[in-house]
Amino acid sequence: MGQGKSQFTEEELQDYEDLTYFTKKEVLYAHQKFKALAPEKVGHNKNAKLPMLKILQYPELRVNPFRDRICKVFSSSNDGDCTFEDFLDMMSVFSEMAPKAVKAEHAFRIFDFDGDDMIGVSDLREVIERLCGPELKLGDSEIQQLVQNVLEEADLDDDGALSFAEFEHIIDKSSDFCHAFRIRL
Amino acid sequence: MVTNFILLKVSSWSETANMEEEIEEVEFESRPTSARRTLTLRNNAARQVAVNFMPSRQLPYNTLRLRRNNSEHNALLEEVDAAEADTPDSVEKQADIIVREMEQHKRLMEDDPEAEEMRREALRDLPQGLTMKRNVRAKLSASVSLRSKRRPISLWKRIKYRIGFAWKRLRDRCRDVVFSFEFWYEPIRQIEGHFGSAVGSYFYFLRWLFAIDLLLAILVVTFVVIPQALHDEHKADRVQLGALDFVTGGGGLADSLLFYGHYHEGTIATPTALTYNMAYAYFFTMVCLYILFFGVLCYRTAYSYRLNFIETSGGLSHVFANKVFCGWDFGVVTQEAAQLNANSLYNEFKELLNEQNRKKTATSCCIKFAQYVTNVIISIFVVALIVGIQWGLWLLLGWKTGLLHWELCVSVVVTACVTLCPLMFHVVVALEFYNPRTALYVTLARTWLLDVGALMLLLVYWSQKHADECWETAFGQEAYRLVLLDSAISLLVLPLFEFTRGLIYNWSKSESAPEFNIAYNSLTLIYNQAVLWFGMLFCPLLVIAVTLKLLLLFYIKKECALRACQPARKVWRAAQTQTVLYMFVTLSLFTTLFGVGSLFFRTSSHACGPFRGYDYVYGVLSEGVLRLSDRHTARNVLTFIVRPGVIGFLMLFLSVAVYYMRAKALAQRSMVDILRHMLVLQAKDKDFLLTAIANVSNGEWRYSPKPTDEGPDSHTWKYLREVRKPSNSGFHFDASRLSHSLIEGRPRSFVKENRASNYNERKPEDGDTDSSFSWQGSNNYLNKSEEDRPWP
Repeated sequence: MGQGKSQFTEEELQDYEDLTYFTKKEVLYAHQKFKALAPEKVGHNKNAKLPMLKILQYPELRVNPFRDRICKVFSSSNDGDCTFEDFLDMMSVFSEMAPKAVKAEHAFRIFDFDGDDMIGVSDLREVIERLCGPELKLGDSEIQQLVQNVLEEADLDDDGALSFAEFEHIIDKSSDFCHAFRIRL
Repeated sequence: MVTNFILLKVSSWSETANMEEEIEEVEFESRPTSARRTLTLRNNAARQVAVNFMPSRQLPYNTLRLRRNNSEHNALLEEVDAAEADTPDSVEKQADIIVREMEQHKRLMEDDPEAEEMRREALRDLPQGLTMKRNVRAKLSASVSLRSKRRPISLWKRIKYRIGFAWKRLRDRCRDVVFSFEFWYEPIRQIEGHFGSAVGSYFYFLRWLFAIDLLLAILVVTFVVIPQALHDEHKADRVQLGALDFVTGGGGLADSLLFYGHYHEGTIATPTALTYNMAYAYFFTMVCLYILFFGVLCYRTAYSYRLNFIETSGGLSHVFANKVFCGWDFGVVTQEAAQLNANSLYNEFKELLNEQNRKKTATSCCIKFAQYVTNVIISIFVVALIVGIQWGLWLLLGWKTGLLHWELCVSVVVTACVTLCPLMFHVVVALEFYNPRTALYVTLARTWLLDVGALMLLLVYWSQKHADECWETAFGQEAYRLVLLDSAISLLVLPLFEFTRGLIYNWSKSESAPEFNIAYNSLTLIYNQAVLWFGMLFCPLLVIAVTLKLLLLFYIKKECALRACQPARKVWRAAQTQTVLYMFVTLSLFTTLFGVGSLFFRTSSHACGPFRGYDYVYGVLSEGVLRLSDRHTARNVLTFIVRPGVIGFLMLFLSVAVYYMRAKALAQRSMVDILRHMLVLQAKDKDFLLTAIANVSNGEWRYSPKPTDEGPDSHTWKYLREVRKPSNSGFHFDASRLSHSLIEGRPRSFVKENRASNYNERKPEDGDTDSSFSWQGSNNYLNKSEEDRPWP
C-alpha cells in the first residue's frame, strides 16, 4: 500500500463519489483526516476498523455531547467502531451538500437513545441533560417542563412521543438545523 | 368534513388531549397506565402489518420502515431480526426490502439514463451505510436489466441526455476544482471551531464579498483599465505626486487611471486594423457588470429568503423543540467553546421557561400601547437624527472655508458619522421594546439608511454643484477618500481597540469578555460594499482597493477574533440574519442603480471622461450604437415605448400581476392550513381504522351488541348495524361516517365490555375474521406472528 492518493483506485473513488455527497478530492481529504486518527493502522489497511475511542479523537466529535450516539449510529457493526467507509458516511451526512431529509433521519437516530423509533420522554430528558453539559444541571421539574413544552409543540398525535414524521416536521421548519447539524471536513 | 376540522381547530389543545386520553382509557381500562405503550405495540401485530402495507409506506424513498428492524415488535421484519443485524445474510435481506420498495416506483426502474440518474440520487439519499448502498445498487441494476425492454430512444432524447450528462459532469468537475481552490477553508474552519457557526457566517460573508469584488476587479481591469493604460503609453508625461495626493486623490492623481475623468473618449488604435472604442468599452463594461451583479445578488437573496423565511414559515414555530434539537453546534471544536455552548443553552432553557411562566401574567393593553408609542417616538427621533446628519453634511459640503483640503475634512466627518452612529443606534435600540431579533433588524435598517443616505447625498451634491467641472472625478475622489479612511479605521483603529480590550480583559478578568460583534462588523462590510457600488463607475480602480482591503481585513479580523475575542455567551442564530445582510447589499446596489441610472439620462460632463462627446451618457447607446438620429422608425418606436402612457400601463400591469400573485399566495396559504388540519384528521381516522382492524382480527366483533343498553338511534348501534354487517363479508367502511363517528366518540360501551376478556383468553382459531380480511400477503405474516408469539 502506498501513501496518500495511491491508496485508492479511480474506480473506488468514483464509487464513493456516487454513493456519498463528496467529490473525489473531498473523499481523499476525508481519508487523510481518518488516517490522522491512527496513522499506522490506516496506512496499513485503508479501510481499517478503528475503535470508538479512536474515532472520538476527531476534534468535532471530542466535544460533542452526543459523540457516542453518533459513532453508534454510523458504525456498521453497531458498536461504535468505525471503518473508513463508516467515517466517510458520517462526514457525508454532516457535510453541507447533504439534504435536510437525510440529516434529519440520522439526527433522529442519534436522539433516539433507546432505539424504539420514537423520541419519547426519556429520550428528550437525555438530550436536554446532555446539551447542558456535565456541570450545569437543570432541576427535575424544569426538565419536565421543557419536555412537556417540546411535546406540546411537536407531538401532533398526542401519543407522548415524537415519531419520525413529527421530528421531520420540526426540522423542516427550522432554519438553523442545517447550520447546526454540520461538521466541515 | 370541513366543519369537522373547524370543530377540531376551535377546540384547544388541551381539549384534544382530553379526548385522546378518554379514548385510551377506554381501551386500556383494566391495565396499569405505565404499560400502555408496550401493550399497544405488542397487541397490535395486525395493526403493524396493516401499517406496513399502507401505500404511503411503500414509497421508494421512504426508508423509515427499514429502521424498524431494531424494533422488536415488527411482524414484517421478524425474519430479519432473527438473523442478527451483523451477519451478511441480514444485510442481504434488508437490501432486498429496499430494492422491493424501490421497484414499486415505476419511473425509477426504467432503463434510460435519466432513470439511472434518479436511481443514483435515490441511492445516495438512502440513510444507510455504504455497504448497504452497494448491495442495493447491485440488486437494483440486476433487476433493471432483467425487466428492461430496450427501446430505441429518439434523437431528441439522446441529445437531451447527453447535454444533461455533460452538464452534470461539468458541475462535478467544477465542485472538485472549487474544493481544491477554496481559499481560507482552514482558517474559517478554525474560527468556526472556536466560535461556532455564527461568527463563521460573518467570515463566509466576507469571503463571498471578496470573491465578488475580485471577479469585478478582474473584469474592470481587463476591459477598461488595461486599454487605457496602453493608450497612455504614447503620451508619457510624468506628473509630480505629493504624499497627500494619495490621501485626497487630488493633485497629480486626479488625472490618472484612478478616476473617470482621465479616460479617453475616442477610439484607441491597435497595431492591427481593429480599434477599441473606449466610450463603448466603459459604458458596456460598467452597465453589464452592474446588471449582472444585481441579478446575482437578487438571486442569492431570494434563494436565501426562500430557504430561511418562507420554507420555514418564519422559523418561529417550535421554539422549544428547535432549541433542543438544533441547539448544539456540531462544528464546535474546542473544549471551552463547547463549554460556552452548553452554558448558553442552559441559560436559554432557563430564560424560555421564565418567559413562559411570566407570560401567564399577560401584559395589559395599556402597557402594550405605551411600548408601542415608545417605539414609534424613538423611531421618529432616530429618523430625524439621520435626516439631521444629512442636512448637516449638506451644509458642511457647501461651506466655503478656503481651507486647503476641505474635502478631506468632509470625508473624515462622513466616515466618523458612519462609524459612530451604528454604535449609538445599538444603544438606542436597547431603550425600545423589540425582541432581540427585531432589534437587530431595526438597527441594521437604520444604519443602512444612514450609510446609503450619505452616499446618495454626496452623489447629488457633486453632480449638481459642480456640473460645469468634472464632477464625476470629484465624486470618484470622494469615494476613494471614503474607502481609504474606512480602511484605516477597520484595519487599524478597530483592531487596535479590540486588542486593547482583550489585553485589559486578560489583565483583570473582572471586565466582561470582549465578544466578536457580528452585527457591527457585518454593517461595516455592508457600508464598504455600498461605497464600492457607488464609486465603481467613477473610480474604476476602487474595485482593486476594496478587494485588497477585504483581503487584509480577513486576516486582521481572524487574528482579532482568535486572539482578542471570546466566544459569545448568547447563541446567535445566523441563518436568517445572513439573509437580511444579503438583502441590504442588494438594496444598496439597487439604490446605486437607481441614482446612477437617473443621472445617466440627464447629464454628462463635457469637460472630461469617456462620454464627453455626448450630451448625456445614455447617448452612447442611442447615438453611438443605435444611431437613432439617422434611423427614424427606430427612434419613433423608442420614443413611443418610453412615453409616460406606456410606462404607466406597464406599471399598472405589474401591479396587477403582483396583486394576482399575492392573492394566489394567500389562497395557497389557506389551502395549506386546510390540508394540515386534514392531515391531522386523517391520522386520527387511520388510527381509528387500525384499531378497528386490530379488533376485528382479535375477533371482537363476532358478538352482536345488546340493543337494550342504548336506543336503536344510538351511535354505536347505527355503527354496528350499518357498517359492520353481521355477514362479515364485503367489509366496507364509509369514510364520512367514520369521521363522523370519530368526532362523536367511539362505540365505547361495546369495546369496554369485550376488550378485557378477549385479550386474555384468545382462541387461535379465529377463522372467519381472518379470512374476511385479506390484504396482499398480510395473512401469512399475521398468522405466523400469532403462532410464534406468546401472548401476554
